Amino acid sequence: MVDLKVEIAPGLVLKNPVMTASGTFGYGREYAPYFDISRLGAIITKGLSRQPKIGNSGVRITETACGMLNAIGLENIGVERFLSDELPILQKMNATVIVNVFGNNQDDYANLAAKLDGVAGIAALEINISCPNVKAGGIQFGIDPQAAAKLVAAVRKKTSLPLITKLSPNVSDIVVIAKAVEEAGSDCISLINTLIGMAIDLERKCPILGNVTGGLSGPAIKPVALRMVYQVAQAVSIPIIGIGGIANARDALEFLLAGATAIEVGTANFINPQTSIEIVEGIEQYLDAQGYSKVTDFIASLELN
Amino acid sequence: MYLFNSEIVNKEKLTQNIFRLRIKAANDFCRVATPGKFVMLGSDDSLFDPLLRRPFGICRWGTDWFEVIIKIVGKGSSQLSKLEKGASVAVHGPLGNGYPINKPENEQNTLILVAGGMGIASIASYLFAAFDRKQPLIGTFLLYGAANYSELILLNELTDADAFGLQLQTITDDGSCGRQGLVTQLLSHELQNNPQSQVFACGPEPMLKSVQKVLQKNECDGFLSLENRMACGFGVCLGCVQSMINEDDETSVKTAKVCTQGPVFPAQQVIF
Repeated sequence: MVDLKVEIAPGLVLKNPVMTASGTFGYGREYAPYFDISRLGAIITKGLSRQPKIGNSGVRITETACGMLNAIGLENIGVERFLSDELPILQKMNATVIVNVFGNNQDDYANLAAKLDGVAGIAALEINISCPNVKAGGIQFGIDPQAAAKLVAAVRKKTSLPLITKLSPNVSDIVVIAKAVEEAGSDCISLINTLIGMAIDLERKCPILGNVTGGLSGPAIKPVALRMVYQVAQAVSIPIIGIGGIANARDALEFLLAGATAIEVGTANFINPQTSIEIVEGIEQYLDAQGYSKVTDFIASLELN
Repeated sequence: MYLFNSEIVNKEKLTQNIFRLRIKAANDFCRVATPGKFVMLGSDDSLFDPLLRRPFGICRWGTDWFEVIIKIVGKGSSQLSKLEKGASVAVHGPLGNGYPINKPENEQNTLILVAGGMGIASIASYLFAAFDRKQPLIGTFLLYGAANYSELILLNELTDADAFGLQLQTITDDGSCGRQGLVTQLLSHELQNNPQSQVFACGPEPMLKSVQKVLQKNECDGFLSLENRMACGFGVCLGCVQSMINEDDETSVKTAKVCTQGPVFPAQQVIF
């Protein structure tokens, strides 16, 4: 048996390094018919805001070569309904729950952090400063190191929960942002959110998505994500969660090699709802076959040519 | 619902760009299939291009198989069209709610089924289920519209001996079969003759919009089966949501997931 446990923040040890990316796993229970979600390292909820949000109108998704664009617009049920209707179900299922939050301004984030602080059944917060699909969905904090640091510090003051900051790749230097949020008190960094993209309908001569642009995800973005994880891993000392196009155990293992302590599976959940648990099994099989006794020996063991 | 890799047991070309696949399925799958439900199909998940599986209505099923009808419109359907008998296919389903067939029906009421183009694949699932149960279809109308005669697929099967009692009317854009015009013209006419009818409709969005108007005008209830784009089919991507009237608060709009709350919705609730 390979020891798959990883520590992604002080005191927060996950049973394995596989999580599910926010916005691809609903509130968790949607996957209960397919496998026991308590077997995952953690599940990360759909991003929550203080008030429910209806999301964008018009076409919200379109497929691209080896990827997809989405412009959902952070549709969610709001934090109150999550706490009353969804969290108890997740607790009953014994899932390790990380809550993803976003807001329009610093007060929103601080308020959400305070509200979720000390709530039983929440293992950590992932703060989304990187949604590209709404004008005020956190991205204004994600592209400026000072604004990012200020926001993380404000959230840090309001909660004792481990803090994960989810970064946008739509910046000129992600390392600068990563360092800023580390200094501001983030316990962990997850990257990357989607890359801003666009698709055009030539017949109708108009953008396909109602929002004109959307977030690109799926295997198409994996090389970009791997590169960014590798670069950030060289520059920060807090744990990193790798996200971006992970569709199988091999992909996940590549992110671990590059320096990620854990990974999140996103778009691949849509294709096969069992992808994340198959990745847990695949990582274990690989490490076992390679003679590793614990996954931590494998993490960041990339050998440069 | 079930997730499994299966095998194509038959492939049949219906037109130049429409074909039917019969896919092997476990008995458990077939037992939970009902008219109007759908499956997500993929040919090979490991290739990533096309990336996502595609939704198709379950058109007919037996004890250990089901059938879908696929029109080649893009990358996903085109790749599926290359699969031959014996090829493997990834299946996720049955998904969605299906038509409300379990509601106690007033025996005097007629049922009007309205199909536009490929919408017949969903509507026919109701008829095939009735054929397979040897259920007579007296008082059931099928109003079926398509671009032209060759696009009126399944016509022979829907007019054969199984279709006992079914009253079928066709209409085409070019008049090559039945009247020339739109299927909603047939619906208007039938609702005048049978104002107490139940209506199920499936077809392109402009047709469903127009069905909704006809129903409203005739103060008649009905159900629309929607075909929005979706990535997952089981309620997590939120790509397929449709605006709906919020019955709790009529001043606001809500969204519904076409995949799990639909694809069949009461016509008066849908906001196009």
